[in-house]
Amino acid sequence: MWKKTLSEIVSELRGNENVIHWHELNPVEAKTCPVPEIVDERLRSALEARRVRELYTHQHSAFKAVRKKESIVAVTPTASGKTLCYNLPVLQAIAEDPTSRALYIFPTKALAQDQKSELNDIISEMGIDIKSFTYDGDTAPAIRQKVRKAGHIVITNPDMLHSAILPNHTKWVGLFENLKYVVIDELHTYRGVFGSHVANVIRRLKRICAFYGSQPIFICTSATIANPKELAEQLTGEPIRLIDNNGAPRGRKHFVFYNPPVVNEPLNIRRSATVEVNKLAREFLKNKIQTIIFARSRVRMEIILSHIQELVKNDLGPKTIRGYRGGYLPKERRAIEKGLRNGEIIGVVSTNALELGVDIGQLQVCVMTGYPGSVASTWQQAGRAGRRHGEAVIIMVASSTPIDQYIVQNPEYFFERTPESARINPENLIILVDHLKCAAYELPFGAHEPFGPIEVEDILDYLREERVLHYNNGKYHWSSQSFPAANISLRSATQENVVIVDQSDVANVKIIGEMDRLSAMTLLHDEAIYLHEGVQFQVEKLDWEHKKAYVREVDVEYYTDANLAVQLKVLEIDKTIDREKAAIHYGDVTVNILPTIFKKIKMTTFENIGSGPISLPEEEIHTSAFWLEIKDEEPEKSLEHVLMGIANVLHHVVPIHTMCDRSDIHVVSQMKAAHTGLPTIFLYDHYPGGIGLAEHVFKRFDEVKKAAQELIKKCPCQEGCPSCVGMGIEKINLKKKSIKLLDQF
Amino acid sequence: MNMAKKLQRMKKHISREDSPSAETKKTVPPAIRQWEKWKDAGAKLFSFEEEHCIIQETHYKLDYKHGTYTFRDAKKTIDDWAKFAGEHPLSAKGFASSDLYFFDIETTGLSGTGSVIFLLGTARIHENQVTVKQFFLPAPGNETALYKKFLQETNYTTLVTYNGKSFDWPQVKSRHTFVREKVPSLPDFGHFDLYHASRRLFKHTMDSVKLVNVEKQHLGLERINDVPGHLAPIIYFDFLERGDPEGILEVMKHNERDILSLITLYTHISRLVLDVESQQDEQTALEVAKWFEAAGNNEAAREAFEKSILSDQKEVSIDAAFRLAMQYKRAKEFQKAIPLLEKTRMAEGRYSIEAAIELAKLHEHQFKNIEKAFFMAKWALAHTTESAKKSLIEHRLNRLEKKLSKLGEK
Repeated sequence: MWKKTLSEIVSELRGNENVIHWHELNPVEAKTCPVPEIVDERLRSALEARRVRELYTHQHSAFKAVRKKESIVAVTPTASGKTLCYNLPVLQAIAEDPTSRALYIFPTKALAQDQKSELNDIISEMGIDIKSFTYDGDTAPAIRQKVRKAGHIVITNPDMLHSAILPNHTKWVGLFENLKYVVIDELHTYRGVFGSHVANVIRRLKRICAFYGSQPIFICTSATIANPKELAEQLTGEPIRLIDNNGAPRGRKHFVFYNPPVVNEPLNIRRSATVEVNKLAREFLKNKIQTIIFARSRVRMEIILSHIQELVKNDLGPKTIRGYRGGYLPKERRAIEKGLRNGEIIGVVSTNALELGVDIGQLQVCVMTGYPGSVASTWQQAGRAGRRHGEAVIIMVASSTPIDQYIVQNPEYFFERTPESARINPENLIILVDHLKCAAYELPFGAHEPFGPIEVEDILDYLREERVLHYNNGKYHWSSQSFPAANISLRSATQENVVIVDQSDVANVKIIGEMDRLSAMTLLHDEAIYLHEGVQFQVEKLDWEHKKAYVREVDVEYYTDANLAVQLKVLEIDKTIDREKAAIHYGDVTVNILPTIFKKIKMTTFENIGSGPISLPEEEIHTSAFWLEIKDEEPEKSLEHVLMGIANVLHHVVPIHTMCDRSDIHVVSQMKAAHTGLPTIFLYDHYPGGIGLAEHVFKRFDEVKKAAQELIKKCPCQEGCPSCVGMGIEKINLKKKSIKLLDQF
Repeated sequence: MNMAKKLQRMKKHISREDSPSAETKKTVPPAIRQWEKWKDAGAKLFSFEEEHCIIQETHYKLDYKHGTYTFRDAKKTIDDWAKFAGEHPLSAKGFASSDLYFFDIETTGLSGTGSVIFLLGTARIHENQVTVKQFFLPAPGNETALYKKFLQETNYTTLVTYNGKSFDWPQVKSRHTFVREKVPSLPDFGHFDLYHASRRLFKHTMDSVKLVNVEKQHLGLERINDVPGHLAPIIYFDFLERGDPEGILEVMKHNERDILSLITLYTHISRLVLDVESQQDEQTALEVAKWFEAAGNNEAAREAFEKSILSDQKEVSIDAAFRLAMQYKRAKEFQKAIPLLEKTRMAEGRYSIEAAIELAKLHEHQFKNIEKAFFMAKWALAHTTESAKKSLIEHRLNRLEKKLSKLGEK
């Protein structure tokens, strides 16, 4: 069969009436510097063997700064040779002094594995006896001791550092005494709850280094975000030099915004993005052009995967199109990554799991199902397509959500905007207390010893009263039988994951994946349809107590979608801004969350074809919230719709301004708030204790307000649509009223 | 919101460590509270750089009987090792009885750097008495004094412990790291670990070789009014709160009993190895023989296997015969191995298939008797049910068959 080339498909695409914006990024030439004189001969020739004869400017600057003992963060796009920013100074230091040690921290085990093989390639070419090991849950007990004693470079993840290395530091004396460098790769992933935890783990790491007399230099790398330097300084507690003079070359890239056609004019309903993505992807795939398709959720990813596999089954073998997301077992993921690198796999449908630097080589086409939620994340996903030379295409297919519509209709917003800031709040009380416990377990805590920017003696006293610590002679000593790190998970508020057990074959029951507890509430409840690698499973029983979901393979025409009921109580108001007819508040709230029912949605038409109850226990969290209050005791009836509409818009706008995931914040509107009886819109951090998102919105509300109003104004619908304030039921002028109401704040 | 209030509100979300819920008081720093009670119990104080450790010494006459043996028996046993020829993991050859330090610790939790050792206890057998010496940590933050004193007074190259190899000593090393700048360093250590010895000799008769169980079953000891070891951490935390040594003195008594039991256990196990008469049953005798074999003392092992072969217990006898046969095979005394292997094979027990395969090998390679080798392999195949083993034997048979047909051609 005759196959079209990429440029042929590109020129066809130019004529497509649904393409509403075409942005072309011109090729960029490489900017390089010679490899510095002082680089060890063996290292130099190892680099030459890898065809590195010169350094890109950013690699060169990174090397120079680290040699001057400065901690750095290097901001680099995908495929710009970022690993050399740390491997070069680290290998050079070990070549000069074999007692030097380095600790590499990657956000996931997969990245650590990748890095180890790359590093070991260079090392074997150098011909020096440098030992690098990964140390994670998979490391065999037999070689653990060897890693502790002999590893020059120990490659691990924050979880392992937290629960295995730091609490057993006396077994790692050799490492901590000689630790010269700590490498933190993918710095931008350390945000929100996870980042707040990791900042505390680094504080503990630095305490232990100080105890053993070392003072490591931090080398961080990050994808493009607005505040890499600030984030690196918050995470490491060190002054950081920013390295952002990227010198890597880039081929031509076409960035295309695609808006599905309107199928229902009055309601402004567009054809589903999923359907359009399937069509577009098929065109590339059947011409054997390597393509990555991003989906916004696990369910969506699985649906697209099964559709595309079906669409191209006559053109390609079934194993050439694969799914990829968290929750697949590591072995499965390694195989997919390898298949992508060597070209055996032509297409991959992924959640944002492949945003991270997992090495899958560079693909030619990237298709996004909807706006990924942040500018930074969009560039990350876009970076998956594009080789150093040659063309690449990135297509973003808009969904009907307000923000997607806003982005594709205001392309300048996206292309001119600096990416978002990554925010962490290491002082979140719950997180801080957890890590103080671990810290005191690791080394007795001095009464005036610093641990981050705030005074912690109150907390230490609290822990003493709880009889967790014992005070003696100016120091707080751990005095409990337990092992505190065991109870603390860095990844989420909830500790245990739910294990997914496939019992389709009674004789061969097997575990096929796992999921965090909060997600399981809505995705693994009894009767839920769970999709795994495009295969449908129905949950036969969710054993909540033992955290197991038993599933069986099925073949049905629908998927499931769960609803949550939320109750909200204000505990304390911290800050208030009064307006004439309204007020804006920030403070603490209690939220009770209860999954109620699930709906069965038909796959082809997305219509609701049934529902059922979910019976799971309620979850309660205390968190920070921001709320808008209207001082109107007797509101018009239409206000209810207006509040819901604004809540809908805020839930879309706020994640853009705070660089958080949509699921990190929740927005709820109430006609009579429990504490005042006034109409109110609440926006709260979906994590116990809060992670600073609501506070951020409170501080920058003017900006958020303006963006919300813009979004409503620019939406082409008449009376409100799901893409902005939702459906206007009667002729109540919903859009105008929403904009007006926002003006009151 | 102020911090204290916030902490109260968040209490439910802050993960809790299990701890008793009694009211707490401010701790009075350094001086030892209720010192009178300590003094009445005969304790002494050691101070170093404003840190303190409490030392308790207890003496026993050599004729004191702890379980089935007196300490005089223990002393004699240690001296008896001098007469024992060859290697053995428990051999005290070259040591005087006072060189051995019977050693046990009490900690506030399982292994990990945050788990504190609050009691180190040793016992030595001197010319005229046994001395138990215990080093107690009156509060965290006194570890320099604790390790200073302990290391001064202990020769840690000759420790006798119960599972000390994987628990007590790594824990000592870990906590020592915290004060290593101020106290002598810890070199490698020599070690008799009676846990491993007990597993070897007693596991065929016991479900759990915990020290208390071994005491009961083999040493004629019953603990009366003993504080269970797992309560020690709670008692220590309570002591930190209240300063009353009453409970701790009980824990120290418990620790002392543990250490004295180590002396009795060392004596008992040594006797099992040293004199055949002391072995109560033939299975134990066989285990002793296997232990010699594992320790590389082939001479003693052979002698012991020969005795075990005479056992009335078929299992013991066959096990010994097979092992002795393998000894002979390794020593290239093939003729001697053959009848033992035949005996094993014909017994049709645990090792009979193994024995048949060994016979096939010997007949094929050493005696060049292909027909006999073929017969043995056939026999093994007929008796085995494991598929992995089957395919190996079939492989062997194929080869033998080829050899046979070649012979036929000639």
